[in-house]
Amino acid sequence: METLLMLLRRLFGMALVVVIATFLLSCLMWLLPGDPALLLAPGTPAGALQAIRHQVGLDRGVFGYYWKWLTDMLHGDFGQYYLNGGTRSVTEVIKRTLPVSMQLIVYAQVVALTFSIPLGLLTAYKEGSRFDRWTSSVLFTLVSFPAFALALIMSLIFAVKLGWVDPIGYVKPSEDLFKHLKLMILPVASLAVGLTSSYTRLLRNDVIATLKEDYVTMAASKGISNKRVLWKHVFRPSSTTLLTSAALNMGGLIGGTIIVETIFVIPGIGYEIFYSIGARQIIAMQTLIALVSFAYVFFNTTVDLITNITDPRTRERRV
Amino acid sequence: MSDTAVAPTTESPAVAIKKVRKKRPIGFYIAASWIGLVLFLGLFGWILPTPKWDASFFDSLGVGPFSKGHILGTTQDGYDEFAGLVNGARISIFVSFIAVTVGGGIGSFIGITSAYFRGTYDKIVVTFFNILLSIPNLVLSLALLSVLAYSDENHPSSTNRRVVVLIISLIVVIIPILGRIGRGATLQWSSREFVLASKSMGTKDFMIIRKHVLPNVAPALLAIGFLAIGSVIIVEGSLAILGIGVPGGASWGSMLANGRGNLEFSPWEVYCPALCIAFTVISCNWFGDYVRTALDQREAKI
Repeated sequence: METLLMLLRRLFGMALVVVIATFLLSCLMWLLPGDPALLLAPGTPAGALQAIRHQVGLDRGVFGYYWKWLTDMLHGDFGQYYLNGGTRSVTEVIKRTLPVSMQLIVYAQVVALTFSIPLGLLTAYKEGSRFDRWTSSVLFTLVSFPAFALALIMSLIFAVKLGWVDPIGYVKPSEDLFKHLKLMILPVASLAVGLTSSYTRLLRNDVIATLKEDYVTMAASKGISNKRVLWKHVFRPSSTTLLTSAALNMGGLIGGTIIVETIFVIPGIGYEIFYSIGARQIIAMQTLIALVSFAYVFFNTTVDLITNITDPRTRERRV
Repeated sequence: MSDTAVAPTTESPAVAIKKVRKKRPIGFYIAASWIGLVLFLGLFGWILPTPKWDASFFDSLGVGPFSKGHILGTTQDGYDEFAGLVNGARISIFVSFIAVTVGGGIGSFIGITSAYFRGTYDKIVVTFFNILLSIPNLVLSLALLSVLAYSDENHPSSTNRRVVVLIISLIVVIIPILGRIGRGATLQWSSREFVLASKSMGTKDFMIIRKHVLPNVAPALLAIGFLAIGSVIIVEGSLAILGIGVPGGASWGSMLANGRGNLEFSPWEVYCPALCIAFTVISCNWFGDYVRTALDQREAKI
C-alpha cells in the first residue's frame, strides 16, 4: 500500500515536470516576433494561414494553444510540419528518426559497458598500483574531452588522413549491415569514450567499497579463486550505481546525440530537433523536446523506483 | 590515509591543508599552467605582436603552421589561426566567467535558501530544478537562443544581442547544476549542532546562512564551479557547431565550426581550436577535482 502510494506520488511528480516544461516551451514560442502562424508556414496565403492558425490552436491564446497541443498529444496526434506549402506528420518523422538514434545510443552504451566493467573491476582490485593510477588518470582526462572535439579529431585522423572509414553518412542495418556498422564506428566511439570513463570511475569506487566488506574476506578465506570472488561476490552488489547511471544516460543521451548526429550527418532524432528549431517548426519542436524530456524523466523515475523496491537499503536511508 | 590517522588532534585545518599541498599531483601543475596560459592570453593577449585576428591576409590563404608571420598558419580565408585562438581565449573567459558566476550565484542562492528553509518553497525549487534538468543542456540553450535571438530579414538581431542571449541561456543551464549541489550540501550542514545552537540564540536566518552554512558549502560549490566552466565551454562549442554560437568566428567553438568544412585542406583549423577547448575543459576538471579532494581531506581529519 505504501509502495503504491509512493508510486502514484512519483508518477504525479513526473507528469507535473513534463507538463510544466512543455508549457514553458509554448510560452517561449509566444515570444517570437511576428505572427507565429506565418513563421510556421512562410509564404502561405492569408486564407490558408487562418486555417493553419485554427488547426494548431494559435487563435486561442497561449493557454488554449497549450491545452490543444497537450490533448492532441494524449490522443496520439503529434502534429505536423509545415514546409514548402505542404505538411508532414511529426509521427512519421519520429518513426523514421527514433530508431536511428536508439541504435546509436544502444551501441554506445554496449561498447561503454563492455570496456568499463572489466576496467572498473581491475583498477579497483589493483587499487593504488601503477596500472590503476595510469588508467584512472587517462580516463579522467577522457571523461572531460568534449564529444564534438573527439568526433572531429577522429574523423580527421581515421576518415580524412587514413581513409579507413567514410567521414559522414548513415546506412540502415537492413540494407547493408557491414556498411552500417562501419559508418557507426566513429559516432559511437565519440559517444562511448566519455561514457566508458564515467562508468569505470563509478564502478571502481563501488568495488573498492565492496572489497572492504567482511563477506568478501570470508569468501576469499574459504579459498574461492580471486576471479570468482570478483565476479560473483563483488561485482553484483557494486553494480547498482553503474546500472542506475547507465539507465539515466538513456534519456540524457537522446539530447547528447544532437552534436554527433550533426557532425556525422546521421538522420536521428537529435538532428531532427536541431532542424525543427532552425526551421521554426514550433509544433514539431515542442513535441520532440517533450519526448526527450519525458524519456529523461521516465528513466529517472523508473530507475529510482526499481532501486527503491529491490534494494531495501536505499529505502531506509531515504526515511 | 592510514599513516596520518594517528595525527595529533590539535592539528589545525590550516596545517592539514598545507600537508596535503605538498603532495600535489602532476596533473594539478599541468592544469594550473594551462589555465594560467589561457588567462594570460585572454587578458593580455593584445600585447603580443600577433597579426589582427579579424583581418584576412589575402597573400597567405590557408598556409600551414610554422610559416612566416603566422605561427599556427591561416584559415582558407586568410585569418591568422594563433590570433584567432588568442581572441577566442578572451571570448571564452568572458562568456564562461559571467555565465558561471551569475548562474552559480543565482543557483546556489536558491539552492541554499531552499534547503535551509524547507517547506513549500523547497518543494517548488526542487520541481523547478527538475524541470530545467529534464531538458538536455544543449536543447534548452538551443531553444532559448533561437527564440530570444531570433533573426530574419524583417527582424534583424545584432551581434551584441546574440552574445547576451547566449550568456543568458548558459546561465539558465548552470542554475540547476549548482543549485542542486548547494541544496544537497546545505541539507547536510543545516542540521548540524552549531546551526541549531546559533538558531536557539536567536541569530537571524540570513546571518546563520552567511556565517555558518555558506563557509561549509562553499568548497563543494567551488569545485563544481570549475566543472561548470568546462561544461559552459562545451555547450558554447556545441552551439557554435550547430551554427548559433558567438557570431563571426570569434570564439574557439565558432573557429572550429568554420574550419569544419576545410578538414581536408587545412586540418589545423580544426585541431587547434578543438585541442584548446579540450585542454581547457580537462584543466578545469582536474583543477576542480583537486580542489574537491584537498578540501575533502580537511573534512575527514577534523
